[in-house]
Amino acid sequence: MIAKLFRPQAPVSLPGKSLLGVVGAIVLSLASPALAQSASAFSLNGFGTFGLARTTTDDVEFIRDISQARGVGSEWSALIDSVLGLQAAWRVTPQIEAVVQATSRYRYDRTFTPDISWGFVKYNPTPNLSLRAGRLGTEFFMMADSRWVGYSFLTVRPPGDFFWYLPFYSIHGADAAITLPLGESILRAKTFYGHSDGRIPLADQQWDISGSPMVGAFLEYQYGPWQARASYANIHFKNDLPIASVLKKTLGIDLSAQDAAFLTTRDTRTHYYSLGLVYDQGPWQAQLMLNHIEQGSNALQSSDGGYALLGYRIGEVTPYLGYSWVLSKTRGSGPSAITAYVMQDSRSDQQTTFAGMRWDVVRNVALKAQWDAINGDSSSLFPYRQDNRARWNGRMNVFSMTLDFVF
Amino acid sequence: MPFRRLILLCSLFLLLAQPAAEVRAELVVVVNARCGVAAMTRNEVINIFFGRNHQYFNSIEAQPVDLPDVHPDRKRFYSLLVGKDLSEVNAYWSRQVFSGRMQPPVKVNSADEVLKWVVSHPGGIGFVDLAKADARVRVVYELTP
Repeated sequence: MIAKLFRPQAPVSLPGKSLLGVVGAIVLSLASPALAQSASAFSLNGFGTFGLARTTTDDVEFIRDISQARGVGSEWSALIDSVLGLQAAWRVTPQIEAVVQATSRYRYDRTFTPDISWGFVKYNPTPNLSLRAGRLGTEFFMMADSRWVGYSFLTVRPPGDFFWYLPFYSIHGADAAITLPLGESILRAKTFYGHSDGRIPLADQQWDISGSPMVGAFLEYQYGPWQARASYANIHFKNDLPIASVLKKTLGIDLSAQDAAFLTTRDTRTHYYSLGLVYDQGPWQAQLMLNHIEQGSNALQSSDGGYALLGYRIGEVTPYLGYSWVLSKTRGSGPSAITAYVMQDSRSDQQTTFAGMRWDVVRNVALKAQWDAINGDSSSLFPYRQDNRARWNGRMNVFSMTLDFVF
Repeated sequence: MPFRRLILLCSLFLLLAQPAAEVRAELVVVVNARCGVAAMTRNEVINIFFGRNHQYFNSIEAQPVDLPDVHPDRKRFYSLLVGKDLSEVNAYWSRQVFSGRMQPPVKVNSADEVLKWVVSHPGGIGFVDLAKADARVRVVYELTP
């Protein structure tokens, strides 16, 4: 029964074995808490989510972000939101710290194979300057580097209309963050550069984005309960989308050299702009985020997205209400019917109203339930998998429940 | 239905539990008497305890010390400082830890150990009952309900 929940509706490879490995490792680590306690320079922590979700349609599959190869339909599934993470940190000296994090979650190759999500060395030459090098999480948008730590946020998952487009999780590179106290307020700036090491699924193929340089920076201002951030990042793609092989395999169509050249992603650059505003005081939590993504390739449509979220805590329970949207800008249909078909694929035009509740049951454990009402155009295909274009009408409800924990 | 009743029960329990906590002695923020800081504002205290700022105005590194969840003063401190529940404070720190940004302040088990930490670290800063604060530390902020 449990194994069935972790399987997409069509048979794909079993994730069970690797997940078991991570569970085993965690059980082992829990069995020897003395290890984490004895030396204060060494710490071992973990986080996880067991999540169930289902939608009200089988015309498309709903995913958490486009790093996932398959999604959920009208049957309850634990595929898209379940994750287990382990992190070890070693404080070598007061200024130097080494951190490694491994996570197991459903990924581009349809397995739960654990990944080293990050492993880096951090050096703080002064208390308010932090330099890191290694495999690092990227903060293309606010909170993007903690998207899988369900316990750290209010909703069951980060709002999709805003985060779907962001399949990038880590870079091999370096970043620098500086904090400047200005009286009672704080100004913080961060910049990063590195090479992507990810893969993005396309039908049953994968788009290799490794070696693609990413660069970005943000400026953040914090005063009391208010936090505002403006950020910019770009990625320079080094490889083409596997469009030709996907078309050949799924539709039996040959992509002409001319169409392939038109749809190329190789040596194109995508720009990410975002603004975020957060208010967090007493029982209130409010967030407003806006983004603009400027795609360099004809195969991908540029888009604007955003979300607003409001939560109010009553005792241990925090009900919340949100609204998110995404709208992409069409580029026409290109030189042929084939290019028109491919270009439709990156279309998104929808709004989501969501409501839910977080219940902090016991220390370090939260239960959440959420309802998403997605109202979009039938052309909105980019955020989904396995679309049946003839039947999809752009509208669905998503029901989700998660159990989030940290240790 | 039983779920709603449980929420109601929880809220009721919280309402009843609150006045009891406020009868206790006043909580104050103390620093090492030799660190050169005479007073702090609420936002400056928030910035230090939430790791937003790691230095005092005179560039000395701030070395905050915290208590475990089971110690009643921890709940009182964050409730008075930012109006937040411990679950929200812990959620905040889980984001900082698992994004690789920073580790939370060191935790010690009692008010006496807080004082010991503050006295033995040049930039030490912690929170204790006003009655506990002695000459080795300086009160820089009083938490008022």
